[in-house]
Amino acid sequence: MRIICPFCGERELGEFTYLGDAKPVRPAADAGEDAVYDYVYLRDNIAGVMDENWYHGGGCRAWLKVTRNTLTHEISGVEAAAGAGARQVAK
Amino acid sequence: MAEFSWETRSPLDRALVAGPNGASGDAGVSLTEIRNFDLVQVMARRGKAAEMAEAAKARFGVAAPETPNAVGAADATLIWSGPDQFLALSTGGKHSIEALAPGFTGSASLSDQSHARVLISISGAKARTMLAKLSSIDLHPDVFGVGAAAATSMDHTSVTLWRGADRDGQAVFNLLVFATFAESLWHTILDSAAEYGVEIGHPEELA
Amino acid sequence: MTSHRLSSGGLIDRSAPLNFRFDGKSYSGFKGDTLASALVANGVKLVGRSFKYHRPRGILTAGSEEPNALIELRSGARREPNTKATTAELYEGLEAASQNRWPSLNFDVMSVNQLFAPIFVAGFYYKTFMWPAKFWEAIYEPAIRRAAGLGRAAGIADPDYYDKAWAHYDVLIAGSGPTGLAAALAAGRTGARVILCEEDFTPGGRLIADGGTIDGMPAAEWLSRTLAELGSLPDVRIMTRTTLFGVYDGGTYGAIERVNDHVPSPPEHQVRQRLWRIVAKRCVVAAGALERPIVFAGNDAPGVMMASAMRSYIARYAAAPAKRMALFTNNEDGWRTVETALGAGLQVAAVIDARAEISPAHRSLASKGGFPVLHGSVSGIDGGKNGVRKISVSLTGGARAEVEADGLAVSGGWNPTVGLTSYHRGRPKWRDDIAAFVPDGAPPGMVAAGAANGAFGLGACLREGFAAGVTAARDAGHGNGSGSTPVADDEAFSLTPLWHVAGKGKAFVDQQHDVTASDIELAQREGFESVEHLKRYTTLGMATDQGKTSNVAGLAIMAAVTGKSIPETGTTIYRPPYVPVAIGAFAGHHRDETFHATRLTPSHHWAAEQGAIFVDTGLWKRAQWYPRAGEKDWLESVTREVKAVRGGVGFCDVSTLGKIDVHGADAGAFLDRVYINTFSNLAVGKARYGLMLREDGIVYDDGTTSRLAEDHYFLTTTTAKAGLVMQHLEFCRQVLFPELDVQLTSVSDQWAQFSIAGPKTRDLLKEIVDPSEDLSNEGFPFMGAREVALRGGVKARLFRISFSGEMAFEISVPARYGEAMARNLMIAGHPFGVTPYGTEALGVMRIEKGHVAGPELSGTTTAADLGLGKMMSTKKDFIGRVMAGREALIAADRQVVVGIKPTDKARRLRSGAHIIPKGQTPGPDNDQGYVTSVCFSPTSDHWIGLALVERGRERIGEIVHAHDPLRGEDYDVEICNPVFYDPDGGRQRG
Repeated sequence: MRIICPFCGERELGEFTYLGDAKPVRPAADAGEDAVYDYVYLRDNIAGVMDENWYHGGGCRAWLKVTRNTLTHEISGVEAAAGAGARQVAK
Repeated sequence: MAEFSWETRSPLDRALVAGPNGASGDAGVSLTEIRNFDLVQVMARRGKAAEMAEAAKARFGVAAPETPNAVGAADATLIWSGPDQFLALSTGGKHSIEALAPGFTGSASLSDQSHARVLISISGAKARTMLAKLSSIDLHPDVFGVGAAAATSMDHTSVTLWRGADRDGQAVFNLLVFATFAESLWHTILDSAAEYGVEIGHPEELA
Repeated sequence: MTSHRLSSGGLIDRSAPLNFRFDGKSYSGFKGDTLASALVANGVKLVGRSFKYHRPRGILTAGSEEPNALIELRSGARREPNTKATTAELYEGLEAASQNRWPSLNFDVMSVNQLFAPIFVAGFYYKTFMWPAKFWEAIYEPAIRRAAGLGRAAGIADPDYYDKAWAHYDVLIAGSGPTGLAAALAAGRTGARVILCEEDFTPGGRLIADGGTIDGMPAAEWLSRTLAELGSLPDVRIMTRTTLFGVYDGGTYGAIERVNDHVPSPPEHQVRQRLWRIVAKRCVVAAGALERPIVFAGNDAPGVMMASAMRSYIARYAAAPAKRMALFTNNEDGWRTVETALGAGLQVAAVIDARAEISPAHRSLASKGGFPVLHGSVSGIDGGKNGVRKISVSLTGGARAEVEADGLAVSGGWNPTVGLTSYHRGRPKWRDDIAAFVPDGAPPGMVAAGAANGAFGLGACLREGFAAGVTAARDAGHGNGSGSTPVADDEAFSLTPLWHVAGKGKAFVDQQHDVTASDIELAQREGFESVEHLKRYTTLGMATDQGKTSNVAGLAIMAAVTGKSIPETGTTIYRPPYVPVAIGAFAGHHRDETFHATRLTPSHHWAAEQGAIFVDTGLWKRAQWYPRAGEKDWLESVTREVKAVRGGVGFCDVSTLGKIDVHGADAGAFLDRVYINTFSNLAVGKARYGLMLREDGIVYDDGTTSRLAEDHYFLTTTTAKAGLVMQHLEFCRQVLFPELDVQLTSVSDQWAQFSIAGPKTRDLLKEIVDPSEDLSNEGFPFMGAREVALRGGVKARLFRISFSGEMAFEISVPARYGEAMARNLMIAGHPFGVTPYGTEALGVMRIEKGHVAGPELSGTTTAADLGLGKMMSTKKDFIGRVMAGREALIAADRQVVVGIKPTDKARRLRSGAHIIPKGQTPGPDNDQGYVTSVCFSPTSDHWIGLALVERGRERIGEIVHAHDPLRGEDYDVEICNPVFYDPDGGRQRG
């Protein structure tokens, strides 16, 4: 598999580490145990297109959101995590 | 009171043995280590990439690379190392972390990498062929020309690779590798290059 | 001249004779021969014994699809089993041996298996050896393995070197026949970067043996001109001896280059094989087609050969498989073999053609050649291990005939090579007009052309190949300049499908696995109709040849017995590799000492000079202990090191800890979120121990973090988790908390870090640190951290932290001073008896002090389990906070860290022993924990340990039972405070 890192260009799979479903968002501090439970344990396991977190640890160390079809491995989009680089990000 | 000697030692001090290696005949790969340099990681503070760029321009007289490239300044080389960050490679203390710090206050975080990396220079007619065993990226001259840089991996080891000015009409590849991996990767390079014949040069000072 | 070598012709170099040995007997061949062609030239017909029935087998094909002629090549450590004689290039001194026979190929005891043939049917093993289970390992399997099987592995390490490389191209072409060469011309002329992989050692594909006329010139001339032109293009690379074996995601392909398989052993410094990972924007599969057999009784006899293979041996190698051959064909193409044989001056006994009609041209060829054309099918072969003698023919209409011949060429038509196009779970589609499966789509970027796409005519191959090359180059961003398409005529095509001739006697479908037509019929009767079941029940197509000559025939027979069509019956899933690839090639140089990269600490070579014993810790080599003359074992050395530290001073290289610079205005706030305790309120110049949880509340990592400036922290991790913690922190910075101003840089390799410990630490440091630095308890209190100057001008970072429980500092210098630092510590510490210590002594002292490490940070423990629950801040959010509060994670009966000591003080403790209440029988119901870490404590003068024990802290003083079934040990231990040494911490604060 090859992933086009928005910073480095196309690179082979070995430079990346897979984390998993990119959809869950870390709940606010006061969200309560159920919300955190869902965040930690509930994962979609889609046979098809899903957004995933990947880390370009063997390259520029950017975290990426990769849109991948889990059936065909086709990658239809890659974007950098909001905090990759120095861009100002609103809370 | 005891006398202390503070001699520095390159991580390649034992591994690098100047002379021919591998197949005999004309060496296809020339290999040596560049020693004695200052290397500073410059990373923009959040929301301060433009300020960092200005500070870099003021300090080095050239714009720092915003894409994977190595930019030559009068007395330093600025090598892209990731989004909104670069490595400043220089010699003689002119751009040591202490020297750079005042100019980047508020715009960038600096981290000294002078001892964290080893700089290896690879050239020769078979340099690209040999590197194809270690590097998964395309080093064809149409794709990876003079000044191109990459943050990538070799043999599962993170490296910063860039193409310097050609020497004797041949490409020169510069490789910054983490110091504790250096001896291991050096042997892997020698293994990979053995079939082409290697000329290992005496360590050089950064020009 | 050997018995079956033709006097002229062929691509062999008659000026370069080569001697070789097969089964101990000497033969000769020429450069340009394969082992198979040289055996053919020597009149050798019997080459091996079959897998199950030990039937005599010969050579069926002339390529990598060969199911029969498998031999052991070379000897000793280089012995390579299951090598195809048909692709093994001949070299001087080649040694080969037949397989699966005992005691010899001609007299094989196991051929009695043929007498028991009725029981060796499909599913035999499943049916016979189901019960009793223990008989399987003891009796059945060894017996079967002796009787069945293929070659023998060398059994000793391969002495050769393999490597791996990457290649990047615009256009990748598989196959150098007319299709592949036309594609290469079309793409290469545009300036595109083109790589062409050819399995054979000579490019040309079927052009070599079948010839033809292209652009008005003989095929051989066109071939040499084309190769010259391609050779002149700087970015076109033709790789022979290279098989494209797989296609992976994103336009990545696997190829194996047999760099030095054609010589006895690789020249010095050269590799045996090289595994290529080719990244290509486009791929043209021009891998051609494989001729398929017709299944009939006795079709496995030596001397029965594919018709195209017979042409190859005659035309390419000037070797005659038969001097008086017969042909059995169901199609026009098979007749080419007759033309080739006659052209080489060989006799043709008869042509058996299953079709109703044959062309006038062939009819006149028969009358000119003086041989009969029999309309019908071959129904039996008379001939044993020495090859075909007589061929029985069932004539159309029912009559019988016999043909005397010493070889039979068989052509059942051609199967396009659909592997590469189907490796992404693609299923080929059936084409009735050629009675074959052709690719139905392909992985992204790939297209099949020519015979691989079902276009069998030479002109069609050139047209399709050229067009595919033009398109591939254009899609890869290269425009014009392809020039004109090479032109050739298209041969007539006429085929009447025929898969299986019913008759008496074994008719083989899969010759490598000895699967017969009746096995397939049996499978159907027993309900294994699906092709995937058929495959697994009969093992059809599961041998090393992956059924290249057998799969389609097998499913055609299944289709016939089920009354379904072939496309309804369908194909099994195609999977790479196309040919077997040596594991060594996948490993490359990652074997033995170079299995993985090695990290060396800055003082490594100094430690080696001291005679240190090193231990592998992840990628690291760490000094484990420093033996001295006269010490009888490791324990004596380690005990001395511990005593030296506790009684004086010692030092240890701890550079392997992960070290991270955390910069930025929000660095403190960031650390507050990733650690359970607070760092934003840490004063500049101070260090603090921190504990990190996973989001599920379990402990992830620990280490000390120091604040070097308002906006600069220096964070350390455990050695084991250094890379993972960096990844985790980057995730927190970039994904979870992108609004924070934080920058992270690994400085693990920038600093050489040493722990200096023992009551005389300060005395040592005073020697080496500049006298202006105040190291007193007031000037540099416990958990202080700041930069100091060393004598001689080098700057260091000094941290007053202790892992050993002693008065201790950690000192960091830039890594290239690491070796000097070790030497200088020896000089500075000389008056105080300084002792370098290794990771064992480090471990002993941390256990004595009750500090947790890897065995306790096991991925199951909470902060409270480790006795660190009070560190958990209640005033802020942090990763793992909410989940750490779950009922089960705060339950009173959790297993928590305690100390243990043996009731019998002479007893050695071992990690992994289970803790059982005294007086109870060990078992899962009363298992209350286990021993995590043990050591011999020089301070206590007996073994001590840490353990995770249910309600452990309430049970201090209780005697429990340690049960170690792995080592067969049972003994009593007393639960105690985990801090064995200096529990009030006076020493480290002193």
